Parts: sequence; structure tokens; C-alpha cells
Amino acid sequence: MNQSFYGFLLFIFLVVPPVANFMESVMVIHMHMQMPMLVIAGFLMARFFKNRFPGFFEKWNSNGVPGILLFVIIMVYWMLPRTMDEALTTQSVEVYKFISLPFLAGVSLRDSWKKLSSFGKNSIIISFTIMFLGLGWLYIWSPVQLCNNYLVIQQVTLGWAFLTTAIGLVVYLGYNFFIDPSAYE
Amino acid sequence: MAAAIPKKIMETTNKAMGISPEDAKITKSYIFVAFMALLIGGFLGLIQGLNRAGLLELPSWLNYYQVLTAHGLLLILVLTAFFTIGYFYASLSHTLGGLLPKVRRIAWVGFWLKMVGFVLAVIPILMNEASVMYTFYPPMAAHPVFYLGLVFIVLGVWACCIGSFIQVANWRKNNKGQHVPILAYFATGVFVLLFFALIPVAIEVLVMILPWTLGWVETINVMVARTLFWAFGHTLVNIWYLTAVSAWYVVVPKIIGGRRWSDLLTRVVIIALVVMNITGGFHHQIIDPGINELVKFMHVFMSLAIGFPSLMTAFALFAVFERTARRKGGKGLIGWWRKMPWGDVRFLAPFIAMVAFIPAGAGGIAQSTNQLDQVVHNTMWIVGHFHLTLGMTVVMTFFGISYWLVPYISKRVLTPQINKLGVIQTWIWTVGMIFMAGAMHWVGLLGSPRRTSYTTYGDHATALGWDPYLMCLAVGGTLLIIGVILQVYAVINMMFFAPKGETEFPIAEEEDNATKTPYWTERWGIWVVVMLIVVAMAYVIPLTEFIVNAPPGSPPYKTW
Ligand code: HEM
Ligand SMILES: [Cu+2]
Repeated sequence: MNQSFYGFLLFIFLVVPPVANFMESVMVIHMHMQMPMLVIAGFLMARFFKNRFPGFFEKWNSNGVPGILLFVIIMVYWMLPRTMDEALTTQSVEVYKFISLPFLAGVSLRDSWKKLSSFGKNSIIISFTIMFLGLGWLYIWSPVQLCNNYLVIQQVTLGWAFLTTAIGLVVYLGYNFFIDPSAYE
Repeated sequence: MAAAIPKKIMETTNKAMGISPEDAKITKSYIFVAFMALLIGGFLGLIQGLNRAGLLELPSWLNYYQVLTAHGLLLILVLTAFFTIGYFYASLSHTLGGLLPKVRRIAWVGFWLKMVGFVLAVIPILMNEASVMYTFYPPMAAHPVFYLGLVFIVLGVWACCIGSFIQVANWRKNNKGQHVPILAYFATGVFVLLFFALIPVAIEVLVMILPWTLGWVETINVMVARTLFWAFGHTLVNIWYLTAVSAWYVVVPKIIGGRRWSDLLTRVVIIALVVMNITGGFHHQIIDPGINELVKFMHVFMSLAIGFPSLMTAFALFAVFERTARRKGGKGLIGWWRKMPWGDVRFLAPFIAMVAFIPAGAGGIAQSTNQLDQVVHNTMWIVGHFHLTLGMTVVMTFFGISYWLVPYISKRVLTPQINKLGVIQTWIWTVGMIFMAGAMHWVGLLGSPRRTSYTTYGDHATALGWDPYLMCLAVGGTLLIIGVILQVYAVINMMFFAPKGETEFPIAEEEDNATKTPYWTERWGIWVVVMLIVVAMAYVIPLTEFIVNAPPGSPPYKTW
């Protein structure tokens, strides 16, 4: 309950217009802080839904694959320049963003992650790494402005954020691969 | 399991018998160099203080900025780095059953790399070819050999980081599932921070400055260089702080006969300081151009976040003091103060250091505020600030440590005479620093600039108004040099002349009813990844801006 409550507080905080406006005013903060924080808010609130509707998750997401697919689809959707633009210009899309990221992506990530095999987990991380490298490349070297709402410099910054995140993921994968925790624990 | 038993025996004997001669030699060498740096650096400080008060005119072959460069490098780099490494290698040796032979070799390689680097850096300083001060900001350019020396110093420190990682990993393999002992845990945090903090400065020196001073490229991107410098510089400051904090949490409670504060909270403080640290570097660039206000605001938030673990520390330590004193029969709201061992330098010096951190920290918070910083930026206030933080909080803790660490490694004892000398030294240093740092703060508010040799600006009334404060500064500096001499004398005495005997390595136990520390505190891999994410969050926006929208860049200048 506690955790769900904090998740809910975080969600409310992110939705409050001044906070949302501030975060959306910088492209990289929009995509690399607001969006992940929305997912985290959902991740925390998932506890509440799982207690409330245990049968639902058991029935539809018993092995975690449907849930993680939903998560990936939502994430990929919001990483497109076009959708971010739309969220800023069309009110209904903005509302959809605030609902889909926490409640579809965050909740299903929470329910699915523990159910995945380590192969499944690693494949997800590896595909996100590759995707981030690709998006980094796109945003940095794109010859044109991709979003109506953001300047090219913001776009390049976002590209570098994708690349550095990808590097962080590679470090994590390397750490997982080379270090065997059972040798220490 | 079977292999672990002889290991255990080794550890216990190690604790009972004291440090092995090979391990002792490492720490002894490091500590000796540190205090020699204090001696020379202290005299240079006095020269500066007297010059600024208009009492001493420097001879034509000695330039104020040359002295300032050497003073900064000796005290900020050599004293602190050598002391930190010497102290933590002794801690690793003591708590993890002696250093591995491999690690010992690495520590020596690191020692000599640093010494070579240091000699390389000093030669151009002596020749007045590198009076760029310890921040070596471009576009001021020193002789390339100066930067080459810095590269060697970086390599030497990296070697020591890697040595400590090997030592800790080996211990964990042999003690599966156990928590790394608290001082070794502090050492891990410090070396992790050092390891990562040195990356940006290595890039700055190797990739940007060296090719530029060698003439291979014509211009340099000044803002990128400054940003990389402070990612390192600020972290270094917090490494000293973390080192001092380790003694406050672990050693001081033992000296006053108490128990350690919550093990879990201590480890959380360490993790928090490691994860949030590097990004604090931007608070040194509050007045810099090229970063927009929104991003500066985010940076201020990030750097004030570091205040949180600091406040936790203050709370924890005063709680330990009170608890211990009450256990010894101290009564009343204030009465328990009398139960503290005020005559023991091993307590007194770090205690005053902690108290000094109260105004020092408050000043730091003021400086993180844009509007307030505009008043004090690049004035003597800043110099006063870091003489409080570093010259008092950190250095006095180091002094306090030296009164048991040096006897411990040299297998001698702290005599009552040296203890008394230490108490006197502590008070002289305290009064000297209050005078000097106090005067610096005040005269800074009146506008006296930092890093400027004596001048009255053509007898301008404002500048003449600074004189009384600068005189006060010189008085403080004179007291301090007496303190330096006493302190170095005490270290030499304890290292080579004090009576032989066993000295304990003081490590306080946990409270009896302490809760068990959860295992996630040991997962350094995760903390490092979190740290990298935080760093990326802070740096991507400004660095991209600096590079993509870069001005033409600057050729090298020799301004002195
Ligand atoms: C005998 C004791 C000391 C005296 C008399 C002294 C005096 C001074 C003076 C007068 C300045 C020059 C201010 C300026 O013109 O900007 C200075 C700068 C400095 N001092 Fe000290 N100091 C002493 C000890 C220390 C200690 C113990 C440390 C650190 C461990 C330290 C670190 C520094 C640093 C980093 C600078 C700044 C150099 C720069 O701005 O480039 N000093 N000191
Ligand atoms: Cu700082």
C-alpha cells in the first residue's frame, strides 16, 4: 500500500501543469526524465493493482511475455519524434501519454520482469541497448529538425543522452557477464 | 570453507600482532610525503599571507602566482592524496588481514608514478613556466611538461584504486556473504569515486590541453575544459570529506569509549555521497556563461542534495557523543559535555574539525545560491571558505588521525608529551584558522579579489579599506605556520623517535542491539551504474551545448 501511495504521489507531482510544462520544455528532460519517471510511478503503483486484481494478471500474463510486449510497444511508441510532438500539440495525446506510460508500461513491467527468465531479461536489455544506439545515431546525425517543438540543438542533446544511456546499459551487461555474484555472496 | 579457516586465523593474528612491516612501510612513505608537503606548502602560504598584507615584497625571481600554484598543488593534491591513500591502505591492511603481495606492489608502483609526476610538475613551476594555479584553467597555458606530470599523478592514483579493488574483491571471495568491514567499505567508496573522477580530468589534460600546448591544435574549448576540470575537482573535495567522515564514524566513537552509529545508515551515507557526487562539480560554474538558467537550477538542486547525507552525519555523530557521555554518567542538557576527553588530541582535533564544518557547510550552501554567489565569486571569501572546509574540517581530522596512525605503523606509542603538544597544536591551528579564514571571508565581502598579489589599486580608498583585514589574515597565517611546525615535529617524532610499543588501530564496535545491515549495500556494481546515470543526466545538456554551439576557441596565453 505504502509503495503504491508513493507511486501515486509521484504521478500527481508529474501531472501538475507547472512541473509538466517545465519538464516538457527541454527535449531530453521530456524523454529521459519525465517519461521514465512516469513508468516508475506506474511501477510503484503496480502493487495496488496486483493486490486488487490478482486473477487478471495471473490469467493474462502468467509467463510475463504479454506484459513485457505491451511494455516494449508503449516505450517504442513514445520514443518516436512524431509522438512526442503530438503530445505537445494535441491535448488528447498528452492525456494518453500520462495514462499509457504509468498504467500500461509501468504496471506491466512490474508484473512481467520477475516472471522472465534471465535469457528473457538479457534479450530485453540488449534490444533496448541496440535501439538506443540507433536512436542516438538518428537524433545526433539527422540532417533535419525532427520535432516541430524542439530546436536541432535539443535534438542533438537527446541523441547524446541516448548514446550515454546505451553505454550505461553496456556497462551493466558487461558487469553481469563478467562478474558472478555467487562468488562473493 | 576449509580454505577460509587459515584465512580467518591470519586475520586474527594480523589484528593481534599489528601491521606487517611491509604494509607499514607503504603507509609510512605516503604519510611522510604528505607531511613534507604540509611543511613546504605551509611556508608558501605564509609568504602569500605576508605579501597580501603588504608586509613582504617578493624578490624578482619569485612570482606571487608561482607561489600560489605550488601552495595549492602541494596542499590540495599532494597532502590530501598521499594522506588519504596511506590511511586507507593501512585500514585495508588492518581490517582485511594484510595486503596481498600483488596489491603491495601496485601501491608502490602508484607511489613512484606519483612521485615522478610530481617532480615533472614541479620543475616548470620552479622555472616560472607553469604559474597557472592548481586549477590550470585554459586559456592560461603552462609548459607541456607540467601537464605530463599531472598525467603521471593520475596514473599513480589509478594504480592505487585498482590495488584496493583487488584487495576487497579477494576478501569478499574468501568471506562470501559477509559485509566488508566498515573502514574497508569507506575505502571502497573513496577509491570508486577517485577512479571515476579522474576520467574527466585525464580527458581534459591528455586529449585537450596537451595537444594544444604542444601546438598540434591551435585552439581549445574553454568551457568544456572547465567543466571536465570541475567534475574532477569537486569530487576530489568530497573524497577528502568522505575520508574525514570515515574517521568520525568509525574511529572517534572508539576513542571516547563509545559505540558506532547505525551500520546501515553509515553505509547509506557512503553510497549517497558516491552516487550524487560528481555532478556537484557544476556549482563551481554557477557564474560561468554558456549554461542556461534552467539547467543551472537543476544543478543547484543536485549539489544541495549532497547536503542531506552531510546533515545525517552531523546528527549521527552528536547522537553518539551524547549517548557515550550519558553512559559515563554525564547529566543534564549540557552537563554531558564535561564527560568528553577534551585532553586527548585524538578526540579534540577531529571534534573541532566537525564543529568547523557547521559554518563551512553554511557558507557552501550560500555559495550554491546564484545571487549570493555573484557577490562572493572569485573574492577572498572563497579562499576563506576552503580554508575552513579543507584547512580545518579535513586537515584537522587528518592531524587527529596522525596521533594514532603514525604510532601504529611505526610500532611506537603516543607519549603524554606528544599528546600535550598535539592539544596545543590543535588550539593554535584553531585560533590561526579563525583569524585567517574569518578575515578572508570578511574582506571578500568587501570585494578583495582572490588570487591577486598585493596592490592598492593606486591607493584607491576601497582597496585601502581592506588593509586591516589583510593584516588579520597575516596574523592568522603566522599562527598557522607555528601549527605546521609543531604538527610536522610531532609526526617525525612519532615516526622515528617515540618509545617502541604497540598502538591500537581504533575501530568502534556496533551497538549490541544493532539491526542487521541488508545485503544490497554490498552491490557496488549497481551503485556505479546509478552514479553513471546521474552523471549523464547532469552533463549531457551542457556539454552538447558547449560542443555543438562552440565559439572559435582560444589559443594558449601566458598571462604572467
Ligand atoms: C600555514 C597555513 C596556511 C596559510 C598561511 C595559507 C595561506 C593562503 C593564502 C594567503 C592563499 C592565497 C589567497 C589568494 O591570493 O587567492 C592561499 C590559497 C590557497 N590555500 Fe592556503 N594557507 C594555509 C594552509 C592551507 C591548507 C592546509 C590548505 C589545504 C589543505 C590550503 C589550500 C589552499 C588553496 C587550495 C589555495 C588556493 C590557491 C588558488 O586559489 O589557486 N592552504 N592560502
Ligand atoms: Cu564543490
